[in-house]
Amino acid sequence: MTAREEKPIIEMTHVTFSYDAPAEGGAENNDDAALRDVSLIIGAGEFVGVIGPSGAGKSTLASVMSGAIPHHYHGTLYGATLVDGHDTCDVTLTDISQVVGSVLQDIDTQMVASVVEDEMLFGLENFGVPHDQIEARVAQTLETVGISNLRDREIATLSGGQKQKVAIAAILAMRPRVLVLDEPTAALDPASSTLVFETLRKVREEGVTVVVIEQKVALLSEYCDRILVMSKGALVLDGTPREVFSHGDELRRIGVDSPRVARVYNSLAKDGLVAGTAPCLTVPEAEKLITDLVQPETKTSCHVASAEEDARESGFRAGSKHVAAPRPHAEGAEPVVSLEDVSFAYPGGTASVDHLDMRVFPGEVVGIVGQNGAGKTTLTKLLNGLLRPAFGTVRMAGLDTREVPTSAIAAHCATLFQNPDYQLCKDTVLEEVSFGLTLQGVDENDARESAGAVIERFGLPADEAPFSLSRGQRQMVALASVAVMEPEVVLLDEPTSGLDYRECMTVMDTVSDMAERGCAVIMVCHDMEVVSDFAERIVVMANGRILDRGGTLEMFSNAPLMREASVKAPQVIELSEALAHDLSPEFAGISQVSGIVDLTEKMVRRG
Amino acid sequence: MVNVIDYVPGDTLLHRLNPVTKLGIAAAIIIATFLADTYPMLLGLLVLTFALGAYARATSKLVSLLKLLVPLAVVMLLLQTAFVRGGDPVFAWMTTDGLVTGSKACLRLLGVALPLILMLSVTKLNDLANACVEVLHIPYRYAFTFTTALRFVPVFSQEMNAIMEAQTARGVEYDTKNPIRKLQLMLPLCVPLLVSSVGKTDATALAAEQRGFYLRMRESSFKRYPMVGRDMAVLVACVALVVAGVLL
Repeated sequence: MTAREEKPIIEMTHVTFSYDAPAEGGAENNDDAALRDVSLIIGAGEFVGVIGPSGAGKSTLASVMSGAIPHHYHGTLYGATLVDGHDTCDVTLTDISQVVGSVLQDIDTQMVASVVEDEMLFGLENFGVPHDQIEARVAQTLETVGISNLRDREIATLSGGQKQKVAIAAILAMRPRVLVLDEPTAALDPASSTLVFETLRKVREEGVTVVVIEQKVALLSEYCDRILVMSKGALVLDGTPREVFSHGDELRRIGVDSPRVARVYNSLAKDGLVAGTAPCLTVPEAEKLITDLVQPETKTSCHVASAEEDARESGFRAGSKHVAAPRPHAEGAEPVVSLEDVSFAYPGGTASVDHLDMRVFPGEVVGIVGQNGAGKTTLTKLLNGLLRPAFGTVRMAGLDTREVPTSAIAAHCATLFQNPDYQLCKDTVLEEVSFGLTLQGVDENDARESAGAVIERFGLPADEAPFSLSRGQRQMVALASVAVMEPEVVLLDEPTSGLDYRECMTVMDTVSDMAERGCAVIMVCHDMEVVSDFAERIVVMANGRILDRGGTLEMFSNAPLMREASVKAPQVIELSEALAHDLSPEFAGISQVSGIVDLTEKMVRRG
Repeated sequence: MVNVIDYVPGDTLLHRLNPVTKLGIAAAIIIATFLADTYPMLLGLLVLTFALGAYARATSKLVSLLKLLVPLAVVMLLLQTAFVRGGDPVFAWMTTDGLVTGSKACLRLLGVALPLILMLSVTKLNDLANACVEVLHIPYRYAFTFTTALRFVPVFSQEMNAIMEAQTARGVEYDTKNPIRKLQLMLPLCVPLLVSSVGKTDATALAAEQRGFYLRMRESSFKRYPMVGRDMAVLVACVALVVAGVLL
């Protein structure tokens, strides 16, 4: 809050904006204002996070701040936006961009050069920075962002995280006073996302104001000092992370996730165990909170509880864990997918996977986790037949993938890709969903009938063009065309990226339903909370190898393994591990918020 | 295929020449190829291209392009033999004249395509754009458009690949052996590709404007691209090459 009293750098008063291209964005928001009556002041030097469900107007807000509205996107704009004291309508986009640097959502389109150094030079040259200062600026900016070693690299050869840093550096070199970023970590794994935020923290320490749109609540709560929550074009909450996340219920209603530890706090507060509205935001904070609650009563000696009691407790805990118990048909059944000693290398030897062994049974949900470049996508392509193993065998629903064409494997194994737009190709949702069936030779009318049923179940508009729908709905259309096939195996590649919390839950619930009906689900996912909520088993990959596989909880609790794979275990599991270690072994093995809350309450009462 | 125009890093004389001079070399070889009418000269020009490629360590680029061009050249040869029917019959419908014209057309096709690719692969696109602006006084706008278009080629082909993979995994038979069927299946995908490319181009325009695109002038470039002695020497050699093309 204090920062806001400093000199404002961006000031928006009663800003309302609607895009006037009814043919396009029209379906997304019925009342057509993308931004309605937004007033806010951003003080110099703040680190502001913006969150909200998709279609809430976050990107529009960023465009208004960066001057792209009104100068690039056309529409109807009311209200005033002052950037450094100048109304954005009165000055040119070029002038605004000397104050506000913006990093676009799709960084590939932002790049103007093919080599990092040239990318850095572009802005400096254009804004007429004296040539004798350019060298020092480039070197210094690369240093700040931590990519001095990449200076002469081709941008095309960089990883996603590196590219993101180049994009940030190229803007930063122009010394803007505000940096606006639109979902900079959407395509990144957790480790690279944290690095990007570390970079932003450093940038902020240099005096630059940072405004970042982000879906990852844990990052926002850790790095930002102010969070804006958007919903349906309006600004609904504005405050410090603690203030914002104390409104857990309201956030959930809007469709915004809260950090799991904040949920623990909010649940305890609801049950009257803690008072106040300042939820904990990190695992150590939560650990301290629970220890303080339990410790005064329970002296350590008193709770080296008997083994039998532990056993009884575990039954109670399993019930409250909400983790799908291993499905009965998973035992003793034939595996529907099996990989035996599979190896594959891309031509050019850039990447490879070695000695992969894995079996998946009908009705299971298996998560595949690991850093970018660990070989997860290669594994999925080996499964659906897009790649053939160089050694070993992949059997998919009884078919050896080396012997049948990919398009034939598709009848048994449906893939949901990270970007739904690659999958969509028809004029209406109905055609799109029935398309897969007709490809498998199902009669046109039957196909439409089954498609119609699935569309109804998913609540999608059957006659709309898929491309006119919002990103989340397009993902649902793609999922519907997977579900209609009733495949034996479903492969999900980052099913939740680019979706907001509510959409993410809808997608995952549908996937769980499919698993209930006996379909084997294999999902590659960076969101460890989603993995721990929905997967029974996980496969941990690093450097093209499977490090280990086993029960979700067992894997996530294995700290050395998680470190080796550079995977960050979900907050709740980290918390329960910490509590089990320092407070009471009873906490071991809890993976859900409710489990922690129930046990804490029980211990407090017992004490 | 995707990376035919990627930069091949190196420090040879060819890399160090002014980008405009490199364009000059490519232009000279291409013009000479059009003007030349004898086998020794046509082959000689191809050999020259490959020698330069080998010198700049870009042979693999040329070979991968050659793989694409040879089928095209063969089709051209067959067509030419079908149209040009003078001279003595050799085999089936082919005649001596047909074979001569046809084979020369093939050599020309290769001789025109390869030098340009070679020069692009030893020049960074930004250097090319900046040098054209500085030396040839081309407006930056055009140079930027040109380099951006080239830069987008691999981006779009990756996009196309991703779309085809997604559709194959859905059961569309892109893995069919029949090339005509494959082409038929590919056509409907042009629409989503076009939609996404228009969006990308718009975003690029915005990003460039937000980084002062409209302020850029001829003097803006940080790097300088003077024409020095070796550039002049090479250009003189280029003129000689064109003259040789006229004579032979």
